[in-house]
Amino acid sequence: MEVCESSKVSLREFGCEQNLLSRPDGSASFVQGDTSVMAGVYGPAEVKVSKEIYDRATLEVLIQPKVGLPTVRERSQEQCIRETCEASLLLSLHPRSSLTLVLQVLHDDGSLLSCFLNAACMALMDAGLPMSCLFCGVTCAINTDGQIITDPTAAQEKESRALMTFAIDCAKRRVLMSSTKGSFSVHELQQCIAVSQKASEKIFQFYRDSVRRRYSKNL
Amino acid sequence: MQVPELLQRVGQVLLPGDEFRLDQEDNISLTEVSRPSRAVCGPGLRRSGARLLVCKSGVLRHKAPNVFWIDSQQKRYVPAKGETVIGIVTAKAGDIFKVDVGGSEQASLSYLAFEGATKRNRPNVQVGDLVFAQFVVANKDMEPELVCMDSSGRANGMGVFGSGGLLFTVSLGLVRRLLSPLSELRSDLEQLFPCELVVGMNGRLWVRSCSVQQTLIVANLLQSSDSMTAPQRKELFRKVQQGAL
Amino acid sequence: MKDTPLSNCERDFILKAIEEKKRLDGRQTYDFRRIKITFGTDYGCCFVDLGKTRVMAQVSCELVAPKESRPNEGIMFFNIELSPMASPAFEQGRQSELSVKLNRQLERCLRNSKCIDTESLCVVAGEKVWQIRVDVSMLNNDGNLMDAASVAAITALCHFRRPDVGIQGDEVTVYSPEERDPIPLSIYHMPISISFSFFQQGTFLLVDPCEREERVMDGLLMIAMNKHREICSIQSSGGIMLLKEQVMRCSKIAAVKVSEITELISKALLNDRTARKAGGRCGFAESMPQERITALKTDETLMETSDVTERANDIVEKAGAPPQTVPSPLVPAPGVGQVSQGQQNTWGLQEEDEDDDDDDDEQNGKETKMETEPQEEEKGAGDVVEISDSEEEEVVILTSETSGQAKNADSSSHQKRAAASKRRPKK
Repeated sequence: MEVCESSKVSLREFGCEQNLLSRPDGSASFVQGDTSVMAGVYGPAEVKVSKEIYDRATLEVLIQPKVGLPTVRERSQEQCIRETCEASLLLSLHPRSSLTLVLQVLHDDGSLLSCFLNAACMALMDAGLPMSCLFCGVTCAINTDGQIITDPTAAQEKESRALMTFAIDCAKRRVLMSSTKGSFSVHELQQCIAVSQKASEKIFQFYRDSVRRRYSKNL
Repeated sequence: MQVPELLQRVGQVLLPGDEFRLDQEDNISLTEVSRPSRAVCGPGLRRSGARLLVCKSGVLRHKAPNVFWIDSQQKRYVPAKGETVIGIVTAKAGDIFKVDVGGSEQASLSYLAFEGATKRNRPNVQVGDLVFAQFVVANKDMEPELVCMDSSGRANGMGVFGSGGLLFTVSLGLVRRLLSPLSELRSDLEQLFPCELVVGMNGRLWVRSCSVQQTLIVANLLQSSDSMTAPQRKELFRKVQQGAL
Repeated sequence: MKDTPLSNCERDFILKAIEEKKRLDGRQTYDFRRIKITFGTDYGCCFVDLGKTRVMAQVSCELVAPKESRPNEGIMFFNIELSPMASPAFEQGRQSELSVKLNRQLERCLRNSKCIDTESLCVVAGEKVWQIRVDVSMLNNDGNLMDAASVAAITALCHFRRPDVGIQGDEVTVYSPEERDPIPLSIYHMPISISFSFFQQGTFLLVDPCEREERVMDGLLMIAMNKHREICSIQSSGGIMLLKEQVMRCSKIAAVKVSEITELISKALLNDRTARKAGGRCGFAESMPQERITALKTDETLMETSDVTERANDIVEKAGAPPQTVPSPLVPAPGVGQVSQGQQNTWGLQEEDEDDDDDDDEQNGKETKMETEPQEEEKGAGDVVEISDSEEEEVVILTSETSGQAKNADSSSHQKRAAASKRRPKK
């Protein structure tokens, strides 16, 4: 069993702005290094009859790529994000209504899926939708030497042997969603989960700080 | 139940996922007459089993003796029974009017729910009119229903209104601040111009002042005071007063 | 999703205010809202804020075969995306009337005005040319999307750099930015669209209408012009009759606005160029307003991960090794191979298990039933009689004994029993 050196474990500088768009009910932009994503949430709003669910809200996640129309890749990412959001939102409190989460790529420099997740969480929080817990996304790459790199850039992603993105909840640091690419051992997987859980603490602290800052005038 | 833990956090910013334990104390004191203290959860707080779960981000507020809620800034309105809102009539469908209140579903308003309305004497309501009305039915599973009169059949300020004023939207937090009994914002506003203000809990405000210019000033002031502290707001209001008068 | 309806009261007030030369946000009749231009990290990415309206433009390029009618010209492609983020009324992937109108106007403004030298985009005549694609996404709609989109598109085109190419014989090599500096497009002039909205059959005119003004207006005139006062396109919609003087006045106003905006664009481009030359970081992250309380940034954070390896080891050890044994392949019939456990039908087995559970729970019920009504059992051999009440969630199943049941169980009883046993855990 190889033992990984986890020396490059750091998160790029990240930032967030909430409530930056006037039209959506909740909006946020999230920046990790150069990767940036904008998210807008509408809801609970009127739902189309065809999409109505009688005992919970219908959540729709739409990803807008920077160039061209959404492809299969975006569709699969949408599904990952939708399932994560469904797990954390209390959808049964708004039956027969629709929630729409639109994510716009502003720049992709690696760890895009985790940035989507973080932006989504901030936007949902900004919209004031009832959530049982918060979630965050962390991307880990394992490079050819077996080193774990968290929050990799696009270049690091390209050179990596395996790439994993986890959505982690804030209550018990459990894994809500995982999306992996490439090959890795069970041990490496567990190691990446452990690293992501560590990283999630920083992100949750950041969530708390930014919300605290936002409400600083209302105290 | 254990409220002290919750009391300590009053005034602090909480996030969804924060939890409090509500332990039922096992040992009943024999000396004191212990009244079971129950925490009443308002918006943003939910009880699940023996835990109290925060489900919205915002500031924890408390009202004596044991009412707790989360004060959050949000834009989308969710109907609640007894709240008064400003609605826009969107359709007439037989005996009811359909009213847009900004929620997830259009509310219904019976034409008999106006003061003095009878089957023959229908109220004069047109599509596009504004109504100030109160929810009598508002829950997640049913179509919300509005009425324009109180329990004794009086209009009590409700009904069709709106000529000559401006309708605009602000955050729900600002509306609550305007309506709180000792609202500084309202008293600041009162000193500025004489104006009529209709405040809907759904984030819609309607103002009318003596001139278009003044109405616009009031509307813009209210919209911008959403993200200001009290001193900043006072400063701005003072400037407007000096400039405008 | 539907947009919020516009009330009569808003409509009346806006019209009354316009008559008094007042606007909702305190602007004068001919004022534009504040324009802010920022650039993304890579070339050809531009954000424009026009008041609360926000749009993003991204230019990209690829090598394609040219059109047969124009073998030595590059291709320009414009795409305006009305993202549902901008307004609840916009839907993804649907060509609405508005998006067609905006797309057409942008094409006429930027392609048909020949502001870009398409001949310089030719690599090999008749075989390979550059296709320049401009994607404009709307992020927030607070009116006047067209002007914001046209500013964003032309600025992004000015900002864009395409990779350099080398031709050796028949071979075309595209050089990466590291090998050779990318080349900017050659742009002759910068057409910018200016919108005018008309009210009361053209009596009143406003520049840069906001969303609510757009909903009240009677007609719209869009003039695309460059700073040399050349009109590149002009479009009137809404079906109002405009007088010659009105159009002339609009074009004069447009000329002033265009020169102001062109100035702003060149300043923004210059700023960006100096910032990039200085090696500073640029992009969306840098344009985030730091002073706002809704925004927060952190620096790069290091994490303490000393115990990660141990924890991973721990978990892996606790989980235990996965079974290494691979069952040997089984050949049930010639030409068919089968691996894994599902070789034999285990339905019967599970059936037994479930029955055991049932017995534990409801032995009494069953036994009494068995004794008192043996004939009924004969008739409906495997029929399940359920005396269940959904309210109480208590399921009493009256069935025959296991032994008898196993023999003449028909499929319907299987299903019902399965359903009943599924419901049990809820209790």
